[in-house]
Amino acid sequence: MRGLLDSAALDQAGDTGTTLVRLIRAEFMKIRTTDTGWFFLIGFIAFTALALTINGFSIHYQLYPQRGSGDRAQALAQAAQARTPAGVAAISASMMTSGQRIGVIFALLLGVLIITSEFANQTAAVTFVTVPGRATVIRAKLAAAACCGALFWLVGTVIAAVATPLFLYSQHVGISLAGWTVVRPVLLSLLAFVAWGVFGLGLGAVLRSQIASLFAALAVYAGSFGAILVFTMLYNLFHQGWMLGAPVIAPAIASEVMTTSGPAFPQAPPAWAGGLILTGYVVALAAAGLVVTKRRDVI
Amino acid sequence: MVVLLAAVVIGGLVWLVRRNRGGVRTGRARTGDAGPGFPDRPLGGKRVPPALMPGGRIDVRGLTKEYGGVRAVDDLSFTVEPGRVTGFLGPNGAGKTTTLRMLLGLVEPTAGTATIGGVRYADLDQPIRRVGAILEAGAAHPYRTGRSHLRILCQSAGLPLARADEVLELAGLGAAGNRLFRGYSFGMRQRLGVAAALLGDPQVLILDEPANGLDPEGIRWMRDLLRTVALQGRTILVSSHLLGEMEQLADDLVIIAAGRLTAQGPVASVIGSLPYLGRTLVRSPGLEKLAAVLGGDAVVTPDGDGGAYITGADAVAIGDAALRAGVAIYQLVTERPDLEAAFLELTAGKAAIR
Repeated sequence: MRGLLDSAALDQAGDTGTTLVRLIRAEFMKIRTTDTGWFFLIGFIAFTALALTINGFSIHYQLYPQRGSGDRAQALAQAAQARTPAGVAAISASMMTSGQRIGVIFALLLGVLIITSEFANQTAAVTFVTVPGRATVIRAKLAAAACCGALFWLVGTVIAAVATPLFLYSQHVGISLAGWTVVRPVLLSLLAFVAWGVFGLGLGAVLRSQIASLFAALAVYAGSFGAILVFTMLYNLFHQGWMLGAPVIAPAIASEVMTTSGPAFPQAPPAWAGGLILTGYVVALAAAGLVVTKRRDVI
Repeated sequence: MVVLLAAVVIGGLVWLVRRNRGGVRTGRARTGDAGPGFPDRPLGGKRVPPALMPGGRIDVRGLTKEYGGVRAVDDLSFTVEPGRVTGFLGPNGAGKTTTLRMLLGLVEPTAGTATIGGVRYADLDQPIRRVGAILEAGAAHPYRTGRSHLRILCQSAGLPLARADEVLELAGLGAAGNRLFRGYSFGMRQRLGVAAALLGDPQVLILDEPANGLDPEGIRWMRDLLRTVALQGRTILVSSHLLGEMEQLADDLVIIAAGRLTAQGPVASVIGSLPYLGRTLVRSPGLEKLAAVLGGDAVVTPDGDGGAYITGADAVAIGDAALRAGVAIYQLVTERPDLEAAFLELTAGKAAIR
């Protein structure tokens, strides 16, 4: 067959990976070639720097209590406690994950945008005509959202890993970042970033509307903290012990429970329960996004 | 602190969303830009017999789509042959876009089938190498360049990325490839859509209102392009409500109204099959004598300006009659029913809104 343009390019090989690998690369191209992804990355870096600064100041005042600020004896006791090896490890862990509890929102919203920008800019039709296997497209997007979450975590952690030793050195306390007390929350934070990226993508795939999905994502995150309030009120009415641990069913609280060393709130269930619940939400949303995108007409 | 953060996050999101929308508006405002100079005949067209293009026939059988009780497309059947430009006509809301989307696997039919070369679009191996489509006026992300948009499609389809530059040149967008889509005029957006459709050098082109919003130069360019690729033996299905454009462009017509097939066939035969016949304007000093000789079937209606419109007899019959009657003819003009008239005739009374 004669080529439309006697194309030299079409005789060359394209990306020979499997469809999924090809599509994941295409998703990264999509993120790279608009400025939205870069805005998110710059915003996240700025946010992490801010969180490190605020966290650093608060730890500084904990280590060096100011005169005339409340109960001086208690403050000094706390400062001494903070300087023990366990205290320093806790400080290190806190510095290493500075801002990451809220920082997962960046992964969440970028996940939402990866899918909803296709519908908002009417490129979904082109995407699904190019690759009729819609489920494969969504799988590639899920993978891209998870990778973006991991990337945010990596950037935040690298910044923290540079800042934390410098900060500890400046505060004249020992530097120890290798202990499990520090590594565990850092790794769990990675899980949280990946989970929220996928959560956002699933939510966007189900809702499709960009504005609705963005605000729904924020509402889910912020609204989760209302669960503590609701269950506390219920406890005051019915005095059932399980009600105090029940807020973990809200996604952001589950995430909090998973990543926090020690109880995230009084009567909080163990970390694995939080991880399990968050994973449940993520798997359910991703599956719903796959099914809905496969079934629903692209109009 | 939390309130401040929330305000920053929400403010940022509102800004992002509004900015993206603003991009589209800016682009629309520039509708009518001629854009960079485009070659009139970008392709060295050479006729390839349809036999060399197997599998290019589009076959729609009993296609039906219901949306909540309303039949947007109702038991529609037609075929589109390779090597010809087929115009897919209908008033707004007739179901053209829904039909094309069912053909491309974007919308699931309630009943019936739509196949290309006997295969459903979703089952095609490497569909981008077989079928090119323009939907949504060449939509792209406003903050992405035209070149990036095409390179992403290449990457998705497993085509070499260098193909993006080739089709940019082909569509006359070479100079604008590195500009953001939001700065494209409407005509440039359509050309980007054409470029995307041509990526896989497909044997079938499906275009939804490609001439919509184009300036006259753009329309001519589109017409030449489609003619050229049809001559190469490709299958072209192009929807439109621009009737005059279709009359010049199409070989065959498929006309639908209210989701149902109204007429199908070569342009001339669709127009010829109409109950609406042509009329002939005659100027003659002996109109009464002429009318008497013409006989019963002919109806002579004076035009109030010394002439008359005659229906029921063609120019040959009128000329012969004038010779027999010995009447001079000063003017004899056949007014052919045009596609516009045919279209209105065929779709009359089938309101767009159902």
